[in-house]
Amino acid sequence: MLILKDVDCFYGKGQVLNGTSLEVGEGELVGLVGRNGVGKTTTLKAVMGLIPAKNGSVRFCGRNIAELPPYQVPRMGISYVPQGRHLFPKLTVRENLEIACVEGKADSARMEEIFGYFPRVKERLTQKAGTLSGGEQQMVAIGRALIASPRLILLDEPTEGLMPLLVQSIAESVKAINEKGTSILLVEQNLKILKEICRRIYIMEKGAIVYEGTSSEIDAAMDVQERYLSVKV
Amino acid sequence: MASNLAVAIVNGIVWGLIMALIALGLNLIFGLLHIINMAHGALYMLGAVAAWYFIELTGNYWLALAAAPILVGGIGLALERGLLRTIEDKPLVTIICTFGIMLALQQLVLMYFGGTARRIALPVAARFPLFDLQYPAMRVIIAAISVVVMGGLWLFLNKTRYGLWMRGVVQDREMAVALGIPVHKVYMWTFVLGSFLAAFSGVLAAPIVSVDFMMGREILIMAFIIVIVGGLGTLWGSVVTAVMISLIQGVGSIFVVPSTATVFSLGFMILVLLVRPQGLLRAPCSRTRERGPGSSWRSAASSRRWPRSPSSRTFSTRPS
Ligand SMILES: Nc1ncnc2c1ncn2[C@@H]1O[C@H](COP(=O)(O)OP(=O)(O)OP(=O)(O)O)[C@@H](O)[C@H]1O
Ligand SMILES: [Mg+2]
Repeated sequence: MLILKDVDCFYGKGQVLNGTSLEVGEGELVGLVGRNGVGKTTTLKAVMGLIPAKNGSVRFCGRNIAELPPYQVPRMGISYVPQGRHLFPKLTVRENLEIACVEGKADSARMEEIFGYFPRVKERLTQKAGTLSGGEQQMVAIGRALIASPRLILLDEPTEGLMPLLVQSIAESVKAINEKGTSILLVEQNLKILKEICRRIYIMEKGAIVYEGTSSEIDAAMDVQERYLSVKV
Repeated sequence: MASNLAVAIVNGIVWGLIMALIALGLNLIFGLLHIINMAHGALYMLGAVAAWYFIELTGNYWLALAAAPILVGGIGLALERGLLRTIEDKPLVTIICTFGIMLALQQLVLMYFGGTARRIALPVAARFPLFDLQYPAMRVIIAAISVVVMGGLWLFLNKTRYGLWMRGVVQDREMAVALGIPVHKVYMWTFVLGSFLAAFSGVLAAPIVSVDFMMGREILIMAFIIVIVGGLGTLWGSVVTAVMISLIQGVGSIFVVPSTATVFSLGFMILVLLVRPQGLLRAPCSRTRERGPGSSWRSAASSRRWPRSPSSRTFSTRPS
């Protein structure tokens, strides 16, 4: 479904992605983990076309999406939940959801589905997004990604800065969304969460994928965890 | 005395409402495109001049009121696509470029329209008594039209999809792109809308002032003052400030000479900026939640268009 092959990305002269290759299959929930600053967010931005991929290719459902103007990428069926949520703070929660329906009106069945995952969102519909708590903002951000009925969602650290109870609940929602058939590429610092819900996990280091395995394989490969994630086992 | 004061107040409100339309266009363009549009006053002038030609041709002011802004909107479209888009990441260059557009438009009008000021007759000649004076009804109609247009603008921004996109793009450009909003199209139509509003105010003002190729110059400075005092990006702040400054100036002119009255309004501006540097009616932008934590995201967002964070500036159409 989504295939990145040898992608290089630069901020100015500094190279951040250095031959990144990864793949997300139809209906898959794939994890991407790595230390701070290794290029995880950059990878997602490269998919969205927000940062141009210099070399290599980004293909989605057989199309080279790196050639599209960036605003067309979400219209292909890819939704993006950025790190730090990035809601529109002065728009209401409802407007934040509606603005994501770029090609039509928000359909109410889809709205109800979102409220099913996140009942809190429904209670906050008329509130300005900037006044929500961090957890609520995350729910709205995921809701905003869902509303356009995407085939693939790119999720960047959805549990960052949330309390443990909420982390668990967000993780379960992500899993539930995936089980309904939406493919997900999930970037996380929290390896434990990834191991719980992802079938396949990539580890990234200095702009490239250095390891790929199932959660049990990662569990077994203690040296990998120690080397790339500084996890003491 | 009482009648003088009443006329000054009504005049101040009428002129303030015209200024508000001009400032709204300028503020919209600044809020979305981050362009300091030095050509805004020239577009206002162009609206009035185009209206004069339309009236020469058809004799109908109302036709001119509809046609001239559309024509100038078209010119705005050409300017945005042909010129401004090619230099969109360079704020300094856009200032110089729009300044150049201003000069070019002024000279073109001077060439074809000539340097003499011309008058447009009041399309509604009726007057009504205001104390012991007869006040032209047309001025009140002009004010009413301005209010209606502002109401329409409010509805457009708050109730239509395109308006929602515009408000979204102002707050977070990169996220808007990531949601599939065609940001460049939004920029283009915003510039067209701003040009339309400038020209529309020009046609509204034409029967009150005289039409000449320099009429946009002072207007531009006033509009900048209004936008800054009312708060960059705060649309309704522009409206309130426009009426207030115009009232101060109008009422002040009864007691002192007009140029001293201008000093009053400038003094008022300085006072406002000292007390509320973010603008008269704009909430201070230090609420941390609105900023969000993702700084790396923002720097990337801005590197594409403007070296500042997109989420630190927002515009609101109502009090927050
Ligand atoms: N706008 C930018 N300009 C220059 N360098 C940048 C920019 N954004 C990110 N970088 C650099 O690129 C590298 C990768 O950043 P990226 O945000 O992709 O990391 P990350 O893996 O998502 O990290 P984290 O886990 O902290 O979110 C970092 O070294 C960062 O400093
Ligand atoms: Mg990141």
